[in-house]
Amino acid sequence: MHEAHIRLQDLSLGYDGRAVLEHVSFAIERGEFVALLGPNGAGKTTLLRSVLGLIPVLAGRIEFGFDRFTSPPGYVPQGEKLNPIFPLTVLDVVLMGTYGRLAPLHPVGRRQRQCAAACLDQVGLADLAGQPFWELSGGQQQRVLIARALAVEPGILMLDEPTAGVDPDAAVSIMELIAQLNRDRGLTVVLVTHQLQIVRRLAHSVVWVEDGRAHKEPAASVLAPESANPFRALRGSE
Amino acid sequence: MTTLIEILSPDFLLRQALIGSVLVGLICPLVGVYFVLRRMIFLGVALPQVSAAGIAFAALVHQIITSLYEHIDLSERWLATIGSMSFTLVGLLVLAAFERHRETVEARIGIAYAVAAAATMLFLAANPTAEAHMVNLLKGDILATTGLSLTLMVGVFGVVVLVLMVFRKEFLLVSFDRDLAVVFGKRVELWDILLYLMIGIAISLGVMTAGPIVTFGFLVVPPFTARLITRRMLTFSLTSAGLGAMTAFAGFYCAYRFDLPLGPAEVVLASLVLVAVWTVNRVHHLIGRWRAT
Repeated sequence: MHEAHIRLQDLSLGYDGRAVLEHVSFAIERGEFVALLGPNGAGKTTLLRSVLGLIPVLAGRIEFGFDRFTSPPGYVPQGEKLNPIFPLTVLDVVLMGTYGRLAPLHPVGRRQRQCAAACLDQVGLADLAGQPFWELSGGQQQRVLIARALAVEPGILMLDEPTAGVDPDAAVSIMELIAQLNRDRGLTVVLVTHQLQIVRRLAHSVVWVEDGRAHKEPAASVLAPESANPFRALRGSE
Repeated sequence: MTTLIEILSPDFLLRQALIGSVLVGLICPLVGVYFVLRRMIFLGVALPQVSAAGIAFAALVHQIITSLYEHIDLSERWLATIGSMSFTLVGLLVLAAFERHRETVEARIGIAYAVAAAATMLFLAANPTAEAHMVNLLKGDILATTGLSLTLMVGVFGVVVLVLMVFRKEFLLVSFDRDLAVVFGKRVELWDILLYLMIGIAISLGVMTAGPIVTFGFLVVPPFTARLITRRMLTFSLTSAGLGAMTAFAGFYCAYRFDLPLGPAEVVLASLVLVAVWTVNRVHHLIGRWRAT
């Protein structure tokens, strides 16, 4: 874990020319699990969306250790922001992850379908491929969105509050899945959350976002262990 | 049955009108799918009215040019087509340019509708010689469909269908999850413009052929009906188009058989199909819940 996957240099981030965060500088290493923590409205999602290129940065620069357009990051948005009127099956949603590497005029083929099916299998929902996406529970929908992010075949996963609006048991299983992907596949993980307990012992580093600043520190120095099992700690906190 | 055989006969006097009507019923729902999914339904009311304003403006231009240069033989229908298309496309692009400001979207579309309706009346009022057939064009002149205009419709609608099918994964991605499309490095504004271009072309030809009310009806009602019974994008689009074509044909039959105005007959029939499908769907749902308990 020494090579920088993403490096932020003296960034100013915000909307309509007004900075929400200033002088943000840190690097995310390959295979690292980074949690963006902080109070509500502190700018965690703004930071994540700026790194994803969804919000233009006001000043500073972001360096990527990969080609963002030929091998884009896997992005998991907050599920509630998606429009439920679209008639989509679970497999349709996961297939969208393969569009990132498909040029216009190149249709979805057997390779993409196999990739989507394998990603669904990885999140434990292979049996639900033909089900309407909107009939799933909140936790299952988040797993499908993680499968969609995996279908991008990314080196980095960026997740915006993947456990928001999800019941505690489902939240634990989602976090277990993310931790497993980081551990077993070596995926770099950048995760927005406001729950300290949920990342205890899982995250290697924490970026604390508060009062217009963001500092990166080792997780161990920020989060004192309270329980041998972080998932039990989460269950206890809910 | 005799009427049906007469309508289907190759020698049927209004055959071109029938084909034109079914084509509008087929294509408008296909683009209307995106109106329903992108929650732009009010745009479906405003744009046909903007298109009608374009036709009225073309009528005024025609009157001015022919009064100044009597020797010029301008085709009113072609001029109306150009007026309809250019007004619709400009209106669409202007409204689309402000699409990101979601909080005022209804107000903008409402203003566009009001301005277009007022402009239509003003253009007609400023045109003292607005002939009856120009007013017919404004309401949709399906009976005036000629072999040439039908060929144009088939060609243009063919291109619209081809573009919608070939780029459906791009249109789906930018419509369903715009952020993901940006993360993938897709040029979302360009895909939006291409989609709006197809929508604008379909609407302006629809208005020229069947009028603003029928066009709006076919943009919205068949997709709503299809959404109740489909679970995938492809079947949703195809069912919408199929329902639109069938109700257009059945509406034509009813209008011819019972001497009714064509446009309203088609829209009412499409709405009756919506009510029937909704009722069956609801009853099926209630029976399912009752069995589960």
